[in-house]
Amino acid sequence: MSPASSIPSAAGSAVQNDEPGAPTERSFSDPRIACPSCDLVFNVANLADGATARCSRCGQFLTQRRDDALDRVAAYSSAALVMLAIGCAFPFMKFSRAGLENTMTLPQTVMELWYNNMPWLAVIVAAFILLIPGLVAVGMLALSTTLSRGRNPEWLPRLGSFIFHVQNWSMVEVFFVGVLVSLVKIAKLATVVLGLSFWAYAVFTILFTLAITSLDKFQCWQTIERLQSR
Amino acid sequence: MSQPQTAADQGLSSCHTCLKLADSALHHCPRCDSVMHKRKSDSLQRTLTLLITATILYIPANILPIMYTDQLAKTTGSTIIGGVVLLIKLGSIPIAAIIFIASVMVPVGKLLMMYYLCWTVARGSLGSERQRTVMYRITEFIGKWSMIDVFVVAILVALVHLSGIIVFRPGIAALAFACVVMVTMVAAESFDTRTFWDNMEKQDD
Repeated sequence: MSPASSIPSAAGSAVQNDEPGAPTERSFSDPRIACPSCDLVFNVANLADGATARCSRCGQFLTQRRDDALDRVAAYSSAALVMLAIGCAFPFMKFSRAGLENTMTLPQTVMELWYNNMPWLAVIVAAFILLIPGLVAVGMLALSTTLSRGRNPEWLPRLGSFIFHVQNWSMVEVFFVGVLVSLVKIAKLATVVLGLSFWAYAVFTILFTLAITSLDKFQCWQTIERLQSR
Repeated sequence: MSQPQTAADQGLSSCHTCLKLADSALHHCPRCDSVMHKRKSDSLQRTLTLLITATILYIPANILPIMYTDQLAKTTGSTIIGGVVLLIKLGSIPIAAIIFIASVMVPVGKLLMMYYLCWTVARGSLGSERQRTVMYRITEFIGKWSMIDVFVVAILVALVHLSGIIVFRPGIAALAFACVVMVTMVAAESFDTRTFWDNMEKQDD
């Protein structure tokens, strides 16, 4: 991530630039962006590869241009999906005390809530730690591979809005901190052994976060628009 | 000297889904077909309604047990605060601190900050727009971290299940608390920080 904050020097006044500039590869789509926090308009046509644009008035992150972003998203999200599958299939943690033991898997965190007459809580937890992250990862993989192959199927805008609306509701990193807290909480009660899935979910958390941060909303929609206008 | 211009000044709206700038007269975004709004609709009323809902839900979340422990034929319920006190007694100060910050300080702090921001909008406060925008961004970022305690309950219930020796069961406060987190997240999404800046520009004219 480049820390450089490089708004074109014309910043806020660049808005007069309404007539199309020199015919560059990026001039197919409107290079202006309104700050989502304060509505000021910026022209980001000259943003260099790797540079980040921030609002000069309120400091809001606007967009980051990264020419290899789609490849990164595809790589991170496909690896993340493999890790999520491993994370669901194998033992997550094993708890033993007085010669008895109990093995827990990731789907069981949801199922046990269900069996304990808390179906709504089971649905909420399943959505935040498995369903939403899984669907967003599949969606990001589909979106990034479709875009980098230059395809423009009619479902692309719907997929894009789904990903950008729902991604705020993924709580993989919060869940992982919850796992660490639980470990310390019960370490005094009994012996806890970490399973393969624990490590897989840890890696999933990292890869998923990298995929989300690599997918830039503004750049992604500019690419979609360029494909639409062809 | 040309004043920096907002999208609204130029009769444009920014699509909340894809950030496309389009004519404010349009109802649907020409790029992604989402419904377009110049500002989030009824943001103050919606945010306040959701904040009050979350405040009410926060009461059962704290006074009812979040988890039950069946041990030696005896059932004990523990509340969020009870869990923190127990952890302090057991000497796990760092974990007690994490749970206290995530389950008490974050949700209460978030509710208070959001009420304050709504109040400044309602009375048309001017000044410190940037600080208030940053404050909003903090509430938006910390919101989901309050779910830690709910996840801890889910994990412990699945893991600690040795019939006859020790069994953990979830309590209704876990559901109430999950609802507090979700409702405050929706409240933050309904709030529109651009109203701070609109008020400032009205003053400048």
